[in-house]
Amino acid sequence: MQRQVALIKQSLFDQGYLDEQFMELEELQDDVNPNFVEEVATLYFKDSARLINSIDQALERGSFDFNRLDNYMHQFKGSSSSIGASKVKTECTMFREYCRVGNAEGCLMTFQQVKKEHATLRKKLEHYFQLARQAGPKETARRSK
Amino acid sequence: MTVEQQDCVALDQFPVGMRVLAVDDDQTCLRILESLLHRCQYHVTTTNQAQKALELLRENKNKFDLVISDVDMPDMDGFKLLELVGLEMDLPVIMLSAHSDPKYVMKGVTHGACDYLLKPVRIEELKNIWQHVVRKNRGSNNGDKKDGSGNEGVANSDQNNGRANRKRKDQYNEDEDEERDDNDDPSSQKKPRVVWTVELHKKFVAAVNQLGFEKAMPKKILDLMNVEKLTRENVASHLQKFRLYLKRISGNQQAIMANSDLHFLQMSNGLDGFHHRPIPVGTGQFHGGAAAAGMRPFPPNGILGRLNTPSGMSGVRNLSSSPSSGMFLQNPTDLGKFHHVSSLPLNHIDGGNILQGLPMPLEFDQLQTNNNKSIIAGNSMAFPTFPAQQHSSLPNNNHLVLEGHPQAPPSAFPGHQINKRLEHWSNAVSSSSSTLPPPGQNSNSLISHQFDASSSSYSIPFCDSTIPLNPALDHTNPRAFYRATDMDSSANVQPGVYYDSLQMRKSGNYGPTTDAMLSSNNPKEGFTVGQQKLQSGFMGGEAGSLDDIVNSTMKQEQSQGDLSEGDLGYGGFSSLRTCI
Repeated sequence: MQRQVALIKQSLFDQGYLDEQFMELEELQDDVNPNFVEEVATLYFKDSARLINSIDQALERGSFDFNRLDNYMHQFKGSSSSIGASKVKTECTMFREYCRVGNAEGCLMTFQQVKKEHATLRKKLEHYFQLARQAGPKETARRSK
Repeated sequence: MTVEQQDCVALDQFPVGMRVLAVDDDQTCLRILESLLHRCQYHVTTTNQAQKALELLRENKNKFDLVISDVDMPDMDGFKLLELVGLEMDLPVIMLSAHSDPKYVMKGVTHGACDYLLKPVRIEELKNIWQHVVRKNRGSNNGDKKDGSGNEGVANSDQNNGRANRKRKDQYNEDEDEERDDNDDPSSQKKPRVVWTVELHKKFVAAVNQLGFEKAMPKKILDLMNVEKLTRENVASHLQKFRLYLKRISGNQQAIMANSDLHFLQMSNGLDGFHHRPIPVGTGQFHGGAAAAGMRPFPPNGILGRLNTPSGMSGVRNLSSSPSSGMFLQNPTDLGKFHHVSSLPLNHIDGGNILQGLPMPLEFDQLQTNNNKSIIAGNSMAFPTFPAQQHSSLPNNNHLVLEGHPQAPPSAFPGHQINKRLEHWSNAVSSSSSTLPPPGQNSNSLISHQFDASSSSYSIPFCDSTIPLNPALDHTNPRAFYRATDMDSSANVQPGVYYDSLQMRKSGNYGPTTDAMLSSNNPKEGFTVGQQKLQSGFMGGEAGSLDDIVNSTMKQEQSQGDLSEGDLGYGGFSSLRTCI
């Protein structure tokens, strides 16, 4: 079981869903904070869902206030990078680039990607955490390098 | 943990337990940051609203050591928060942002941020943030705000954050070390002392006059002076001293003002040099600073000057009036008083002789009782050696001074004359104390007479002990005799200043002058006066009567350093002269 968990985690890294920041978070998990990583991930998804909604609404309005959009995305990018959501972060960067040049279509397109990556990561992490909990807290805390 | 506990912990084990306030509207980041900080063993308080953060800070300024804040926040711009915190609470603030754009980093720096970190924050970066607290504290102690200094405020964007941090930290440490060396005394100033030479001071005065004394602002003065490498702070502190000086001498002998330039400079210079004494204007000067050659003599003069005015110690004035003339004899009018001094083989300062002539005997006795030891002796010595001596125990200096080596004092203090007298006096007084050479030096027979009697270690309480004067002087002795006693404590007062005053005083104390001097000196006033007081109560200017002085001195018994003259010393500042 633990091995399975480890493998899943490894694959997440390998596939680029997660980066070393996630490792940092795991380092912070200890006896005092046994579920730190999961807690943070949960927070992240909650926050980011809210942000995604805001961006969605802004885009649907069609007004394309690039500044505003950029601001949202900046925030989104910030928290994504904090948790180590690598692919999501990449898409965010692209979105901001389109905003910078005022490319509305590019924004729309990229945003779809952002949402997609975000959803994928969420699913994978949820699965991962579930398994980890089953396997035993200690194991998940440590990342086998 | 209670706040108190926290504080204790923080103090004892810093940086462990350092209290950080983390502000970020992003819950995820905030949570992570909190965790990272905990891992670094800091005490963390978090809030996702800038307003709340301000409230927390305003509620108790001492509750936190450091603030970390995000840049983009909905309720308030992070830079704005940064500014407010810096202004109101003067705490180090670290900016946090996902923006790696140098423009943001620059903005952070210009708004006063100690550091700028990029998200995602790594623990290595947070491990060193305590350095900003230390730096800031050192800066404040020294009157030098270093925040941000040396801190490139560069975003640690790359992997070398850890290394960069270390490097920066080393750099900081280096800076700190340098400064640390300079400042053994936490109260001393770190930055290189600016020596206010006569020319420089003249320019300063000219600028002040041009602007109008009331309206003179450091910045404008600085501009008018147009001197390279002079900072606004230098001017500001000099202006402050100058103002104090004027206040002191106002009403005091105007004559002193004539000489004031030197006096003032001496006083001020001395101050800087010394330990940052409150007024030791001349302190630096004295010893060696003799920035202006004439400065030396100044101190004594200054003192005398002061002495004179208040109580008509004209004698004192004489001393002060001519910086070069051995100060003591500044005022011809009171020369009478002083001329005793002159008769003495003062080194530079004729004033030294003054002491001789003065009714020293009385004073000496009195002085002796006090503990003048160092003061008197110290004075003469103190001056020159002031700076150096300052730290050293007064007694040491004093001895020297008293010894009557007018010139002998290590620093050949111009005030030697006075010192000499003192020396003699102190010799007599503190014969026990030490090194004073047989008073015979000057014609201080009188003095020596006294000295013997006193056996107390006058050893120039003020002066030489230079240090004692200053540091030791803690003028806490408000003793009446302040002056005399001040020696011990006065050392603190103004190392440089005192001496002069002491010196002068010494002469003054001798007799009539002393009273005059003493009285004139309000401990505060005469910075030097104070010294004088120390001398053994000569100065007791305030005391008015030798008896008082003596008594006071006796009581004073302060530790050497005490040149409680400090008061005097402080005052000395003014007395030094209005140098203006």
